[in-house]
Amino acid sequence: MSKKESDLVQKVETTGYEWDGIKELNNPLPRWWLYVFYSTIIFAVCYAIYYPSIPLIKGYTEGFSGYSSREELEHEMAEVQSSHATILELIKTMDVSDIQSDPKLARFATAGGASNFKVYCSQCHGSGAQGGVGYPNLSDDDWLWGGSIKQIETTIRHGIRYEADEDTRFSEMPAFGRDQILSKEQIIAVANYVSSLSGLEHEDSLIDLGAMVFAENCSGCHGDDGQGINEVGAPNLADTLWLYDNSKKAIISQIINPQHGVMPAWDDRLGDIIVKELALYVHGLGGGE
Amino acid sequence: MSILDKHHRLETNATLLLILSFLVISIGGIVEIVPLFYLQNTIERVEGMRPYSPLELKGRAIYQREGCYVCHSQMIRPFRDEVERYGHYSLAAESMYDHPFQWGSKRTGPDLARIGGRYSNKWHVQHLTDPRSVVPESIMPSYKFLAKNKLYISDITSHLKANQLLGVPYNQEMMEKAFADVQSQADPNADTTELLERYPRAKTGDFDGNPTRLTEMDALIAYLQMLGTLVDFSTLEQGQNISLE
Amino acid sequence: MNNISTSDIEQFDVEAVNRYDKQQPLYAPRKKIYPKLADGVFRRFKWMVMLITLSIYYVTPWLRWDRGEFAPNQAVLVDLYHRRFYFFWIEIWPQEFYYIASLLIMAAIGLFMVTSSIGRAWCGYTCPQTVWVDLFLVIERFIEGDRNKRMRLDKSPINPTKLAKKISKHIIWLLIAAATGGAWIFYFADAPTLLLKVLNGSASTVAYGTIAVLTFTTYSLGGLMREQVCTYMCPWPRIQAAMLDENSLTVTYNAWRGEPRSHHSKIQNLIAGSENISVSSGDCIDCKACVAVCPMGIDIRDGQQLECITCALCIDACDKVMEKLGKPKGLISYSTLADYKHNTELFFATVNSELVQVNREIIKPKFKHTTISRILQQPRTIIYFAIWALIGLSMMIMLTTRSHLKINVLHDRNPLYVRLSDGSIRNGYIVKILNMIPKRRTFTLTVEDFIDGEMIMPQKKNDRFRKILLNVKPDSLLAQRLFVISSPNKKKAVQRTFRFQIHDNASSESAEYTTIFSYG
Repeated sequence: MSKKESDLVQKVETTGYEWDGIKELNNPLPRWWLYVFYSTIIFAVCYAIYYPSIPLIKGYTEGFSGYSSREELEHEMAEVQSSHATILELIKTMDVSDIQSDPKLARFATAGGASNFKVYCSQCHGSGAQGGVGYPNLSDDDWLWGGSIKQIETTIRHGIRYEADEDTRFSEMPAFGRDQILSKEQIIAVANYVSSLSGLEHEDSLIDLGAMVFAENCSGCHGDDGQGINEVGAPNLADTLWLYDNSKKAIISQIINPQHGVMPAWDDRLGDIIVKELALYVHGLGGGE
Repeated sequence: MSILDKHHRLETNATLLLILSFLVISIGGIVEIVPLFYLQNTIERVEGMRPYSPLELKGRAIYQREGCYVCHSQMIRPFRDEVERYGHYSLAAESMYDHPFQWGSKRTGPDLARIGGRYSNKWHVQHLTDPRSVVPESIMPSYKFLAKNKLYISDITSHLKANQLLGVPYNQEMMEKAFADVQSQADPNADTTELLERYPRAKTGDFDGNPTRLTEMDALIAYLQMLGTLVDFSTLEQGQNISLE
Repeated sequence: MNNISTSDIEQFDVEAVNRYDKQQPLYAPRKKIYPKLADGVFRRFKWMVMLITLSIYYVTPWLRWDRGEFAPNQAVLVDLYHRRFYFFWIEIWPQEFYYIASLLIMAAIGLFMVTSSIGRAWCGYTCPQTVWVDLFLVIERFIEGDRNKRMRLDKSPINPTKLAKKISKHIIWLLIAAATGGAWIFYFADAPTLLLKVLNGSASTVAYGTIAVLTFTTYSLGGLMREQVCTYMCPWPRIQAAMLDENSLTVTYNAWRGEPRSHHSKIQNLIAGSENISVSSGDCIDCKACVAVCPMGIDIRDGQQLECITCALCIDACDKVMEKLGKPKGLISYSTLADYKHNTELFFATVNSELVQVNREIIKPKFKHTTISRILQQPRTIIYFAIWALIGLSMMIMLTTRSHLKINVLHDRNPLYVRLSDGSIRNGYIVKILNMIPKRRTFTLTVEDFIDGEMIMPQKKNDRFRKILLNVKPDSLLAQRLFVISSPNKKKAVQRTFRFQIHDNASSESAEYTTIFSYG
């Protein structure tokens, strides 16, 4: 070590080392800065001990706190759940139509229904309840089994043509073609007549025969004017909405060998509260009666 | 004099300096590099994750090409507000077939990690064509041209192969059928039973409203409609943090 | 020559902490500063500023402002929980945060304006650090006495008196610090309620945490670290250095008049009334009163320095001495660098071989005295002021003319449209109405630019409306779900645009929102 000396201009001591004639002024960090630096190091060590930090070959150090952001979220959500306990109890005990007339309860239940709909119902009915071919649109005003809040609740609770549930809604349109109840001409004529009910393209010459066949075979379920009967799940044939397409081909195919949709019963799976919430949500989509 | 004042020994001995520098850098290297070899530890075991279908993979490439990740993240953090808005928080498993991942770093637009199935194909087409027509306050640019661009598919097998090299488990059958799969997924008249066996939960049918052409719009929407829908969350243990087996 | 006795002019054994030739390395322990109490124009002005600023800080949360029953009656309140900011008659919602942003911009430009015209006035008079250090010094002086007593006390060995004094000083400091931290939280909640809660221990952890943190920072920054905060920690002195130029007002030692400094013996001569004063002697008698009063512990005679906060206490101290000596005040004065240069040149140009004293008399009228009005007439100051005023004015205009009513509409994304059994098309919307005043209001919602569009409320599905009355609670948002129904578009258009309009009949305020109707 060479001698420490002061530089003449700034009066700062050198470090006392000399490398090839180069000397370095000793300008250490200000104390407060240095202490802040040390304290950050201490903080880092404490942090690493307290929180999960160091990856190991299998797993990681969990830290004293055992903190996990996912667990924290779970706690928070559980807290939210428990804060909802009273309102959920009300929903459990009250009748759907009573819930609907209480704005606060209705809002809460509808929101719950909306999120459950996305989980359990959107697979068939679509995330916006817009349905698809064979899966009814729940936001329009056309209901197979009735659009009142009670009727919707029953449908969700017991399903449609769901054999595991005794109280399930059930109806089956005869396979007029497959079982040879109607002749080919009669089927074409009645399909033509059905098309005419909602103003679709049709041949006038077949209307009379079609109307006759309809009155004999179809009006029992679909009503005299084809307006449908909710009690038996018979669709309205006189409106513009079609579950299985409105082309002549699709109508004929439905008469020959009808398709029947199945909806599961949700009562056992989701429980009373969620069923009610779903009923309120679906009813509030815009088509509820 | 303390040990700190002896640093000239170190600084005057090149060999010693070299050895000790190497030691210091090695520690840094171990800390930074070694955990990468145990990356699998950090991925949850969940059911449902599968390699992307060829069409989704193509869509993903378009997603990257158009820089969607610049404005949209794909990472729902475990916070109540995010979980309530976007759905279940993202899992590491959900990005395990992403090369590179699309977590993003900025949300100019909303997070897209669970956009799949949330809106209809029709909405996506309209939104990508003219974002302001469905979301008036949106500042997203129009991607109208995607519906005009024919999807370039002749390199699809190489795409799969590249992903396979990176560890995505595409099997021989998937590789062989890739060219057919990329076309049939967006074809409403195709038989997609086999495709769905290979790629369960894939959305099929026409996406862009024009069944006769396979466009980039088809691919992108197929990708978007799949996002966040693969994992079966009932198989994720409650509170399961990281699978340590 | 006046009659002056030796005891009148105190000599101080003090050295500037940053003395050039004795500068210590930065990691050396701090040299403690014992600022002496000054007295004079600037000191009195500073007491006043201190009183005003502290009053503003402590009293503001307790001011009340009647806003009716639906809004808090605290005049200034940052209500984080309800996301509102109240400032007397102004109420700001989160989306109006740009008002706060422009207020901050104004504060910044105001600071630039002050700095470029009258120098570091912010530092010297109104900076919280300065104000609280001053406050802490008042306590210190009250308990331990002024400079000399404090120095003696610190040097004396520990005894009960010393201990009692030190302990009581720190306790009072801590109490002030706690009160400072305590006052801060009152800006964020109803002050009387919160005070009660804080005292009976039922306030939130955040409240206590904030008090604890601010108590700690006030105590350590104001009581213990003092001038070090300004010299080492605060970035502002360094930024300000870039804003000062030769026309900025700074505290200046007029060296041309003071130098060369006379020494103690010369004072004796002076007092004795001897006329035999050395030709070369200046007005400064090197009594170091200016150093003794300096809260930063520096010597202003070393020139303009980073440490100087321009509190002007040295001017007070020096003026007192000059008064006693019968010399004109202003040996240390507020001056610009340009004036200082001018005066120096003028002075040396006329010195020649004649007596300094005589020359001073002759050239006196030619000296430039920096005056505030001259400083304020500088173009730079005016430009800053113009920008500042422009922002302020436009903000005021926006504030007074802003709408207290907003409407946002979300069109359903899925499904985009619903076809009904009679063939008509229905779209769903969520209409959000923001009633931004603390009064219940009734709005008329109408559909505009859409002749065959009619609204349906979810509760009454069979009625169709062109006009809906909506009640919105005071100071809140109503999210109303509703539908619009229309017959199919004859031109087969995919969609059309139209407007939702809300109108407040009472205030005739209205707002509208353009959205779309999708046909399929």
